[in-house]
Amino acid sequence: MRLLWLELGYFRAYRSLHFEPGAGVNVLIGDNGTGKTSILEGIGYLASLRSFRNAPDASLVADGSDEAIVRGEFTAAERSSLVEIAIPAQGRRSVLLDGKRPKGRAEIAERVALVAFLPDDLDLVKRGPAYRRGYLDEAAVQVWPVAASEFGEYDRVVRQRNALLRREGHNADVTTLDVLDEKLSSLGSVVLARRLAVVALLEPVVAELYGELSERPGRVEWRYQAAGLGEPDRESSADSLRTLLGDALAGARAGDLDRRITTVGPHRDEVVMLIDDRDVRTRASQGEQRSIALGLRVAAYRVLLDRRGTPPVLLLDDVFSELDPGRGERLVGQLPQGQVFVTSAREEEVPLVGDRWTVSTDGVRAA
Amino acid sequence: MFEAPVQKLIDELARLPGVGRKSAQRLAFHILQIEEVDARRLADAIIEMRETVRLCSRCFNITDEEECSICRDLRRDPSGICVVERAQDIVVVERTQEFKGRYHVLGGAISPIEGIGPDQLRIRQLVARIDAEGVTEVIAATNPNVEGDTTALYIARILKPLGVKVTRLASGLPVGGDLDYADEITLGRALAGRQEL
Repeated sequence: MRLLWLELGYFRAYRSLHFEPGAGVNVLIGDNGTGKTSILEGIGYLASLRSFRNAPDASLVADGSDEAIVRGEFTAAERSSLVEIAIPAQGRRSVLLDGKRPKGRAEIAERVALVAFLPDDLDLVKRGPAYRRGYLDEAAVQVWPVAASEFGEYDRVVRQRNALLRREGHNADVTTLDVLDEKLSSLGSVVLARRLAVVALLEPVVAELYGELSERPGRVEWRYQAAGLGEPDRESSADSLRTLLGDALAGARAGDLDRRITTVGPHRDEVVMLIDDRDVRTRASQGEQRSIALGLRVAAYRVLLDRRGTPPVLLLDDVFSELDPGRGERLVGQLPQGQVFVTSAREEEVPLVGDRWTVSTDGVRAA
Repeated sequence: MFEAPVQKLIDELARLPGVGRKSAQRLAFHILQIEEVDARRLADAIIEMRETVRLCSRCFNITDEEECSICRDLRRDPSGICVVERAQDIVVVERTQEFKGRYHVLGGAISPIEGIGPDQLRIRQLVARIDAEGVTEVIAATNPNVEGDTTALYIARILKPLGVKVTRLASGLPVGGDLDYADEITLGRALAGRQEL
């Protein structure tokens, strides 16, 4: 997988940028605030149709402009994919894949494989369950593009059920609630099955990587805790999960009516990550947490590589400043050579050989 | 801001679905440029439609009489009702020429987010038609999305105890196309609803 060129127009601080990166490692050097991360953010947006900083679309549009443009062409296995996105300051963005409107995120995910390492990745292990669910779902979408719309539909039915509970509380129409529960358990079981499948794919890879990325070995284990269901068997079929979810929803009905929110379903699940039976979130050292966070990203990269047969585009945003040199080099050793984009304020801290680029607010120049 | 009358039209046009600021501007300036008779014809068409068109008292299709042309047609089979969200969906089903029964327009789909529950739809009126017209089958032709599916399930729950057969349109592959052009969702649904040969 390779990005041939990138164009940004009125995106973040860039009025206009054209960048033709090299096929291997691209190191983007520049002072803070020059827009290195914006370039990576633009590349990431082409692949996932969202900002990896979780910035709302409107904030991507340069001040004083009414529309940001991101365009880029990827190539993999001799098939090229032109992705063009217009993000208006107000209203809906428009996306074109090879000049045509794609049917959804799935179609882009199918064509463009990308993994980003971010300075905030520690949040994946330190912060709330939503971060880990987001990580699993992102990985699932890249492995099974169709999952994007499954997650979208599930999300929609949860929001409908929550809206009913919030508006009506105990006066909610029982048949409407019954029907929403039926829909929620059938869509939820599909989401849950995907989560369990992606856990089964990633967990052994992270466990194996942990030994390589950290100084001390440790036994890494994940527990997928499904809200209202406990720890479902990883081999469960979507059908049996649907029955379980339906029963759990029925059991939680009274409490949900009191609290006016849906407390059962994969939108409330948690993946507890353990090192030698200690919860990484609360009972691991900063170093152990960092090794797991890196392991999560490397595992996603490995799984994608394995599935697609070609290395995904890799974004490393200011990752090395957070790592001691030993860990940085071990990380690099874990990544097979594809196209890589690395940002850094200090050239010497990047332990990678490749094309070097100087980034300023005017654009990107070969260093 | 443009001169007040122009701006007023732009604002009105921009409130239409699918029309953004820029399109509204383009339309307004187009209307400004065309012959006055043409502009007047457009305005008259809007007013005439609003003044003459009403909802069918039976199925809530649009009509200019008490009942719509489909409900008045004695050759239509009254035992089957095809339930749709909006009146314009009737035209789509009619084009197939496969359905010989009558219709019922719900006026939307269940969507608590938008404050739409069963009471905001014409479900009560549908139930009343079952006995009155001797209906034995109801086809739920609501949209294949979360809201449409929910509405279809709701109708099934309400009508089944009345002894009515409730069916849902099958989701499947477009005919005449290649399998590899189908999107995953459609193909997934088609797989789930596969039939033995």
